[in-house]
Amino acid sequence: MSDYIKLDSEKISEGVKTITELGGHGILKCVQCGACSAVCPGVKAGFPVLCRLLIKKVLDGQLEEMIEESSSWGCQACNRCTEVCPQGVRPQEVVFAFRRYQANELAFSTSAITSQMNLHSYGHAVFSDARELRKKVGLAPEAPTSAYNEKAQKEIQTLLENSPMGELGLY
Amino acid sequence: MAKVGVYVCHCGTNIAGVIDVEAVRAFAEALPEVVVARKDLFMCSDSGQELVKQDIREGLVDRVVVAACTPRTHEPIFRAAVESAGLNKYLFEMANIRDQDSWVHPDNPEQATEKAMKLLASAVGKASRLKPLEDKYVDVTQAALVIGGGVAGISSALELANMGYTTYLVEKEPSIGGIMAQLDKTFPTNDCSACILTPLMVDVGNHPNIKLMTYSEVEEVEGFIGNFTVKVRHKQSYIDWKKCTGCGDCAEVCVEQTKGRIPDEFNQGLSPRGAAYIHFPQAVPKKAVVDAANCISCKGHKFGQEPKISKKTGKPMIAPCQEACPADAIDRSQQFDPNGTIEEIKVGSIVVATGYQVMDKKWFKELAPDSPNVVTALQLERIISATGPSGGKLVRPSDQQKPKTITFVSCVGSRDENFHTYCSRVCCMYMIKQARLLKEKYPDLNINMHFIDVRAAGKEYDEYYTGARKMGINILKGKVGGLEVLPEDRLRVLAYDMEGAVPIEYESDLVVLATAIELPETAKKLAQATGLQFCGSHFYRELHPKLGPVETSVRGLFLAGCCQGPKDIPDTVSQAKGAAAVAAVPLAQGKVKIDPIISEVHAEKCSGCGICIPLCPYDAITFRMVADRPRAEIDMTACKGCGVCTTACPSAAIILHGYEEDQIYAQIAALTA
Repeated sequence: MSDYIKLDSEKISEGVKTITELGGHGILKCVQCGACSAVCPGVKAGFPVLCRLLIKKVLDGQLEEMIEESSSWGCQACNRCTEVCPQGVRPQEVVFAFRRYQANELAFSTSAITSQMNLHSYGHAVFSDARELRKKVGLAPEAPTSAYNEKAQKEIQTLLENSPMGELGLY
Repeated sequence: MAKVGVYVCHCGTNIAGVIDVEAVRAFAEALPEVVVARKDLFMCSDSGQELVKQDIREGLVDRVVVAACTPRTHEPIFRAAVESAGLNKYLFEMANIRDQDSWVHPDNPEQATEKAMKLLASAVGKASRLKPLEDKYVDVTQAALVIGGGVAGISSALELANMGYTTYLVEKEPSIGGIMAQLDKTFPTNDCSACILTPLMVDVGNHPNIKLMTYSEVEEVEGFIGNFTVKVRHKQSYIDWKKCTGCGDCAEVCVEQTKGRIPDEFNQGLSPRGAAYIHFPQAVPKKAVVDAANCISCKGHKFGQEPKISKKTGKPMIAPCQEACPADAIDRSQQFDPNGTIEEIKVGSIVVATGYQVMDKKWFKELAPDSPNVVTALQLERIISATGPSGGKLVRPSDQQKPKTITFVSCVGSRDENFHTYCSRVCCMYMIKQARLLKEKYPDLNINMHFIDVRAAGKEYDEYYTGARKMGINILKGKVGGLEVLPEDRLRVLAYDMEGAVPIEYESDLVVLATAIELPETAKKLAQATGLQFCGSHFYRELHPKLGPVETSVRGLFLAGCCQGPKDIPDTVSQAKGAAAVAAVPLAQGKVKIDPIISEVHAEKCSGCGICIPLCPYDAITFRMVADRPRAEIDMTACKGCGVCTTACPSAAIILHGYEEDQIYAQIAALTA
């Protein structure tokens, strides 16, 4: 990316159209107030191009230039952005639309591939073995999730492999 | 046969951009009643009107149809043109081919043109059957009513009173002053709100032409421009205001008895008041009231009862407020009466200046509304005001300690789809004012202000804002997303720096929310009583946003101040003085015109069945004895020409002038041809 951008109206409308069609319907409602990024745990964790900045870059016509951006995979879908947005943008949906765009173009960041593989293996995009910790605080070591259930994992794998994600040849 | 002249307007490109104006003109020319059909770029311009006038003067036409924008704004203009050329102005008809045609069918020009032809043919059909009508006039009551005693109502009332008209000023609180009386200083000149407002309040109190009615509400408005009858309800105060000297002794004992349970509205709940109280120290009139709903009837001395006799002393047990009053003004023997007394007044015009309320913080769950150290901006005004609960010392509510870091949050409930989509207009500026006043007084105070963007459009406003930056106040672009409550009632601010594109997190001692300006619930009641309408932002709707900013759709009813939309003090006072000037017009003229497009009963056809009487929404119909038999009669001053009676009359004895049966049938025939 160069140090300056040219505003290209075709690129802008193409970017908006792509994100809108992939589910980020509210993108044009954004007034760039920044409330979403103020509460976004992803932004704080070092994934700056989420919510407000991601939308701004699309609205500047920089969708293609961002294709390798790994910030989008930092979104935990907590939807705090959706809750505080005063304009009904639903920034989380924009982030997910952007992810779909990246996935369609096979432009995963390495962190994304790890989470996809986690999802395939355990049914959780972010997974760490919490059995020791749970025991320490007096909980049953294994939470009732797909992480410890081979049958569920098989089902998830079948679903994923038969989904558009499967066609990408990731698994 | 009538000679109809047709004039089709391009309205620049408003009509001609969609409709084929020449085709419409040619169509009109071929209609049998039409003797001439012309077109013009702007029919309402001088040259356009001249086309009409010349054809009338030359005797070419005796009926006029203009196909143009909308009768709402332009019918009076063309009627006047017709009249000035010597033709009765009611021999004019308008075809609405802009608002009801070109503007609604921009994507369908062919059918829009076809529709224009039908609308025009319908207008021609009606016009050729129109009859001349005469305006009538009635005398005007030489008095005005101003509803609301804030700075808007005060300004309007003083103007009207100075013009020499008796002016009633009705205020629901015990004192006039409104929200401006609660403010500390005012931007951009930092003059003290009380110092500039209280002299005006005193003027109102002393003005020989102003009849001040505080602790009162407008219940009912009847009549029309020039002759309104208004019912005003005086709330029961249980204090004889003729005797009350405003010493405040009753209030002092009462606040002790009620033990601080009643929040003082004037101090935005930051301090308590008694059930007996004086609105604020500079009140006009400075009179106490007893708020019966909060009264705890000390010593069992209830309203409407004589005091109990003490078994110990044998003396009557009088309530402490009554005992404290040196003027013997408190009368608890009056029956408890939530309705108060109704007074009827007659006025010629009315200015509505009922003001606004600021939104409560409770709606904003992400902004820690339960923390005592999250306050609304109006609460901060009371905290920093010399007349406030801390005497103007900046303290945070939780522990009365001076905060080290204070945060301002803008657009709380404004510019927000979940609450109000509009900008409240004054928040940027008053927050900057509060920050500047605080920084001047406490240079060490750390002030962070968070804006979506700073709106400082006004005379000397931007300089005031950039001045704040120079004073070392931190201005940050980016809306605050959330507040989290920390131990010791501190707050964690979750913000964002738009320019740096980084999130911001810090701890603050006091957070000020600029909550939105909105109309209170009570505005609905007044709208019902007066016929005022609401706009999309739920403020009272003005007649026209540019050319009728103080007028309303109810003739004789005018708007001033924030009840019409958020505005600052300079704009409020400007509008209030403008409203007073326009409200004085019917009073100065001494008589008002009665539109002749109203209904009339033909007594010889009326059977006296009375069906029309309860149907009339304006109570304009009564029975009158004609040759010993009752016949319906319509009061022309009350009739609004709605036509309900005309359509309901089984004997077809009622005609609506300007909408007679043959005229309407001709319209229907043209539209369905």
